[in-house]
Amino acid sequence: MATDLTERVQEIAEARGIPESEILEQALERGVEDLWVDLVLSRYIDDDIDRETAINLVGRDRVKRAEQEVQVVEDDVRWGLNA
Amino acid sequence: MILAVADAGPIIHLDEIDALALLSVVDELLIPQTVYQELEAGMVPPALETIEYELVESDTTGLGVELDPGETAALAVASERAAVLLTDDLAARDAANDHDVEVHGSIGILVLASTRGELEKSAAAELMRALQTETSLFVTDAVVEHGISLLDES
Repeated sequence: MATDLTERVQEIAEARGIPESEILEQALERGVEDLWVDLVLSRYIDDDIDRETAINLVGRDRVKRAEQEVQVVEDDVRWGLNA
Repeated sequence: MILAVADAGPIIHLDEIDALALLSVVDELLIPQTVYQELEAGMVPPALETIEYELVESDTTGLGVELDPGETAALAVASERAAVLLTDDLAARDAANDHDVEVHGSIGILVLASTRGELEKSAAAELMRALQTETSLFVTDAVVEHGISLLDES
């Protein structure tokens, strides 16, 4: 995996003509953003924050998508437990 | 008695976490020819040959859905035979609901396997996490953990 990452960073840097350090900085920003979204959605799903707060933090589309996913997963778990 | 018809999604996703054999937890499994051909276009998972299933033809005439051919075929078979549609595609799930077809996915199979004694609850939880981290399944991390908590509470 480490080798894959190194090679990918090199390839992206070459393709875009920017330093590898800049690619790593962008990757860190995107990674933190993803983790932040996960955290906010987790707090919303666990009822630690309300819907409007979640929408303000990560956007309506992500919240609606999470709600759809929750419905699907709850439906699947219920079926698996009772079928 | 669970009669189920699978599209390619659960077959691929469960295979990616080395859990394809758990599809045999349903009592009878149907796979449309169209779905099998989609799998052949990549590679049919070798583990598929370890479980019993029936290859079936599908008639999608008049179904009126905008899904991939495999999903359309699976929905047609499920509708015609009053079977459970197994799909991990959200649009296919919506279409199944529109056609009054019962629909579930890979997560449902893992929970069902646990309920039927094929898996420990903890193993089912680990496989649910693997579905999220190791496959292209739709669920985000937070939603998987929510599903696991529901399983734990049962």
